[in-house]
Amino acid sequence: MPRRNDLKKVLILGSGPIVIGQACEFDYSGTQACKALMKEGLEVVLVNSNPATIMTDPEIATRVYIEPLQPPFIEKILEKERPQAVIPTLGGQTALNLALELHRSGILDKYNVQLLGADPKVIQAAEDRELFRNILDKVGAKYPKSHLVRTFEQGTQVGDELGYPLILRPNYTLGGGGGGIAYSPEEYQKMLVQALHESPTHEVLVEESILGWKEFELEVMRDAAGTFVIICTIENFDPCGVHTGDSITVAPQLTLSDREYQAMREEAGKIINEVGLQTGGANVQFAVHPQTGERVVIEMNPRVSRSSALASKATGFPIAKIAALLAIGYRLEEIQNDITQSTPSCYEPALDYVVTKIPRFAFEKFAGAKDLLSTQMKSVGEVMGIGRTFQESLMKAVLSLEHHAEGFPEITVVDERISYPNSQRLFHVYQAFREGWTVEAIHELTQITPWFLEQMKALTDFENGLKKSNLSTEVIYQAKKRGFSDALIARLMQKTESEIRAFRHKMKITPSFQQVDTCAGEFPSSTPYYYSTYWSQPTEIPRAERRVAILGSGPNRIGQGIEFDYSCVRGVKGFQKQGVEVCMINSNPETVSTDYDTADLLFFEPLTEEHVSEVLRVAGVENVVVQLGGQTPIHCAPGLVQQGFKIMGSDLEAIDLAEDRGRFNQICRELHFKIPESGMAQNLREAEEIVARIGYPLICRPSYVLGGRRMEVVENHDELLSYFERHQEAISARRPCLIDQFLEGALEVDVDLVRGVDWVVVGGVVEHIEAAGVHSGDSQGVIPPQRLRREVCDRVERMSQELAHRIGVIGHLNLQLAIKDDSIYILEANPRSSRSVPFVVKATGVPLVDLGVAAMLGETDAKIQSHQFVWRQRTDVSVKGVVFPFKKFPEADSILGPEMKSTGESMGRGRDYGEALMKAMLSSWMRFPEKGEVFFSLREKDKSEMLFVAQDLLAMGYTLSATRGTAQYFKSQGLECVEYKKVHEGRPHCVDKIRSGGVSIVINTTSGRQSIEASFNIRRACIDYSIPCLTESDATEAFLIALKKTREKAFEVHPLLPMQKDH
Amino acid sequence: MKLGYCVLETGEVYSGHWLGGEPRAGEVVFNTSHSGYEEIATDPSYYTQIVVMTAPMMGNYGVAREVWESHRLWIQGFVCVQMQASAGDQAWLERLREFKIPVISELDTRALVVRLRHGGTPWGALVTATSEGEARELAKPLIQKEKGKEKDWVFATSSKNFQIRVGQSERGPRVALLDLGCKENIVRELLPYCSEVGVFPSRTSFEKIKAWNPDRIMLSNGPGDPMDVQETVETVRRMIGWKPMMGICMGHQILSLALGAKTYKLKFGHRGSNHPVRDEILNKIYVTSQNHGYAVDSSTLPVEVKVTHVNLNDQTVSGMMSSEKRFLGIQYHPESHPGPREAQALFQYFVEQL
Repeated sequence: MPRRNDLKKVLILGSGPIVIGQACEFDYSGTQACKALMKEGLEVVLVNSNPATIMTDPEIATRVYIEPLQPPFIEKILEKERPQAVIPTLGGQTALNLALELHRSGILDKYNVQLLGADPKVIQAAEDRELFRNILDKVGAKYPKSHLVRTFEQGTQVGDELGYPLILRPNYTLGGGGGGIAYSPEEYQKMLVQALHESPTHEVLVEESILGWKEFELEVMRDAAGTFVIICTIENFDPCGVHTGDSITVAPQLTLSDREYQAMREEAGKIINEVGLQTGGANVQFAVHPQTGERVVIEMNPRVSRSSALASKATGFPIAKIAALLAIGYRLEEIQNDITQSTPSCYEPALDYVVTKIPRFAFEKFAGAKDLLSTQMKSVGEVMGIGRTFQESLMKAVLSLEHHAEGFPEITVVDERISYPNSQRLFHVYQAFREGWTVEAIHELTQITPWFLEQMKALTDFENGLKKSNLSTEVIYQAKKRGFSDALIARLMQKTESEIRAFRHKMKITPSFQQVDTCAGEFPSSTPYYYSTYWSQPTEIPRAERRVAILGSGPNRIGQGIEFDYSCVRGVKGFQKQGVEVCMINSNPETVSTDYDTADLLFFEPLTEEHVSEVLRVAGVENVVVQLGGQTPIHCAPGLVQQGFKIMGSDLEAIDLAEDRGRFNQICRELHFKIPESGMAQNLREAEEIVARIGYPLICRPSYVLGGRRMEVVENHDELLSYFERHQEAISARRPCLIDQFLEGALEVDVDLVRGVDWVVVGGVVEHIEAAGVHSGDSQGVIPPQRLRREVCDRVERMSQELAHRIGVIGHLNLQLAIKDDSIYILEANPRSSRSVPFVVKATGVPLVDLGVAAMLGETDAKIQSHQFVWRQRTDVSVKGVVFPFKKFPEADSILGPEMKSTGESMGRGRDYGEALMKAMLSSWMRFPEKGEVFFSLREKDKSEMLFVAQDLLAMGYTLSATRGTAQYFKSQGLECVEYKKVHEGRPHCVDKIRSGGVSIVINTTSGRQSIEASFNIRRACIDYSIPCLTESDATEAFLIALKKTREKAFEVHPLLPMQKDH
Repeated sequence: MKLGYCVLETGEVYSGHWLGGEPRAGEVVFNTSHSGYEEIATDPSYYTQIVVMTAPMMGNYGVAREVWESHRLWIQGFVCVQMQASAGDQAWLERLREFKIPVISELDTRALVVRLRHGGTPWGALVTATSEGEARELAKPLIQKEKGKEKDWVFATSSKNFQIRVGQSERGPRVALLDLGCKENIVRELLPYCSEVGVFPSRTSFEKIKAWNPDRIMLSNGPGDPMDVQETVETVRRMIGWKPMMGICMGHQILSLALGAKTYKLKFGHRGSNHPVRDEILNKIYVTSQNHGYAVDSSTLPVEVKVTHVNLNDQTVSGMMSSEKRFLGIQYHPESHPGPREAQALFQYFVEQL
């Protein structure tokens, strides 16, 4: 059946800000679907609250709304746009839950809109665990013994019946949120309370443990006629007990026999049918007992997912695109396989390679968080390595993590790091094999399928041989086939990396580049999607006259995520518009940049100097773009230049001037720009000397850190002592501690600009809402500035331009400045596109990335007409909101500081500041309680400043409570306020009040290590119970503005305007 | 480590590691299934063929005698990128060695597959040698000898004695199964519906089958070119319209020849577990298990025969039937093993509805 003719306009729901468990894979799927539907001539309306996505670029859909993903806003959009249908299957669990809400509240019926892909019945069947179990019974599938628990009392009974360990799975949460494994009754009871709370329906499935079973996932597609195909089978390296998002996985499955696999395939088909999924993609997860082969179903998701993005990248089959086409009526056999251009889409991809996915974690960002993996997802990103064999793909994936050039460096084995699942287990297992552990011993501790362990053991056995070998063609060839990096070979053979590379090139041992063609070579294909391998003959890749390479940003991590993929993808399009072909090199399977039809050539490779340079050679590329993918490509730049490649735009000298603190400060001084007083200390004594010069407060951080790692505000001598004690291993003569004057209370701004040979365009000045001291990635921000005086703002712009000229930037420059008492201080310069670029572009309409491309191509002002790009042109206000993962890290503190902790951002657009703030906060899942008690615990200096907040809240009908000092202050000012004990003052204390549900909003400002630690429990209680918790005075004021706005209940929605004139 | 070579009669040579067995020649074909190596090797349809697996890693899940599709391994050689040969498990390699089947790993199967896709599936040999030149010399006589082999491969793989297999359905029909190189799973699929399955050697005469008085006839899969099969075509021609009859793969091709249609050699065949087929009998599109080098030319089928199954990759005939004469030909493998089981219902259709 061809496409339905009754559909003219559809609304696609996005997935909102990046959170753990729901990341940029939904930008990838949504963008792909938009493109496919636009091509079909449909009007596509898109709504997403995440500005960092490609999908929210005005060109991707007919109309783009950046609005909160909540029913009132969607209703407004439906009212305005009147689409015939909504597609809820592309925006993760957020979109599915939103669709259910829209259905239940009657909004869909009211506007006569149907759901495409999955109807409410299907969503419920897959998400409601009791309904799902009934379906499994019907098709004869087994599942772990379990009970649906609705109350704590029932829960304790169930626990006794099933025995320990137990797995808790709350209904309708994403990434296993609120769930986990309980090994003892005490642990179970504690987790049960939390889990019941986390589930929007207050239902938790308590399940007998299948720890240690093998875990599999099938990616399924089905069309309206019932044709059903498996796109990819994924096998988990980590056995059951670790969330699949946190597991190392491989595709295709490698350890099931054909009979076992076909039985699983058949069962997946039955489940999909019984659930009632009409069309689209879905996944079904299974566990298989390693000895008996008994199989149980774990869960099913009736939508595209993180794993379907992985499956698409692993096979070349565009699941989201096909899902979108199926949703509008096409059948699988009517859609041609894009890659072969000759066969239909109703087939199953055949792989002649292996892919390995490894998650990337960020435990180091959350002091106190235990690095242990369980059924609740904790990873923030992932990499994929493609190789001809498991070993080659594993080694490439490990290199893609960007932890170490050797992939597996020498470490010290810690037994617990092997026996308890954790982010470093792979590395400890590998090291253990190096030290002679047996496969049996490690299997005993980990339950990892012996096949995988044998493969790893074979690698370390090979290492031992390598240590004793002389340099020869055969030896190097064998090492490369196993995925060993030049750096690792060099260390094992006691040579240098460049010696190994020189030898390799002399002997013509270079990788072959093979196509990811969906069919194992059975049919000709012209797909430009390649991976490198040393298992095949060298291949030729057609040359092009004008071709550049863009280096991507690698795995998502805190501080470097989807924002950089936005720049990369936009950059690809920018170059293509100028008639330049682009090679994309990246290792992150979640991204739009690694979609096979984004760039002219796609190389799925680790972003190391070695792998990148091999790509450049085979693709005949001389010019490399390193300023779009964040810090990762910047790190590759010097090595690539040394090998004779050219960096486009800012050269190494300019990069160094901006990155090297000493040189940068020198420039600022030359230009007579203020910089915070600073010094470098190799030890405490030197630090004390610096303090004598600049005084407290200070910001301390070790050299060579990213995203504010180990960066702290130090307010007095005790804290300085403590800082040097806690971070002594990171501070040395070679890596001194950088000490800066801390500009307390200063207003911070981000400036993003592009400089060409004879022109500069400032893309925007983002004013931070939080005061200095909070990492720029964790601050909310606003365009245009609301507090900065116009004259000062103009000065900021002028200074930024002068700096760009002096550094010799060509292309992007991001600057961070602080303003205190109208004095402007320069804090930091990044000679590259930044995290704030997509937000700035969407807020102002200045096509900053396109301009960056023009700059890199050497365009002059005569052509660019830079004066026509004016970032203040728009009259509306845009606020950037932030999203934090504290819920996933039960031991972590939510207080903000110089170390970045947020995973994602949202955007609110409004006619005024209040509306924009409200939308941004709603989009960041902030709740605005309409009534109740507001609890204050303030540090001394904030008390008077917060007085008007308390007064306003009282006037709005809230009641006040506070810890003693704050309460007494409020009372002395004539405000009615209840007094609670601090935790150390005995019970019942304020945290008891919060945990028992008596408090609606918490305002808790504090400083100094000791008091931060003392108030930890207050913030933690708020995180656990999703109570708004403000920890900073400026943020509190902003919250109050937004809160007032929500009470007006008046808001509008507007589509994004097109970009300012294309150059 | 010994060097192993895959030498094609057209001159190309591919090198890898020789893992054992004795040098042999055969038609070099590739299979894209991810799993099922043991089923493939014991499928008589692979008689005289050297199988190149496109999935790179073989032997991962060991072996199991109960998945065998016949009493022995039939392939003439096994080629893959990497063979499981760890201390813990090398059962698959050992089994291949036990049957003296030559095994080469670490070979660039991708390059070989692309060659087969472009130029068709030539004869070749797997040999061990110290140089390419030596390999060519060793391969030549092996290929000559193998090519000179008696052509009726169906006869070579068919059982030589009549045998009765007791079914699980007392009231079910008695099915005469003409063994043209039959996969065990065809029998396994039939038994639940039948009271008895009589397995007849390929050159059994019509009279003998008639004497057994079956209710239905099944023509099995088998190796080689259907045009080389002797006697069977004639037998089948006499059975058309006599009793409901189903042919699978070779059985389907023999049935077509008996109807007067023509078969032709596909450029590189269909071998894998991912071939989409439109089935107008079960009325659905599904993924099938396929293994055939020849196909039926639809334009040569009698007009009363309806093409009911089409391979959606290349639009070749995947099945045909006549409701009047009550026969059904299926080019692929509803019995799977390896591969998806979505066509399984065709057995029930054959037994209960045809």
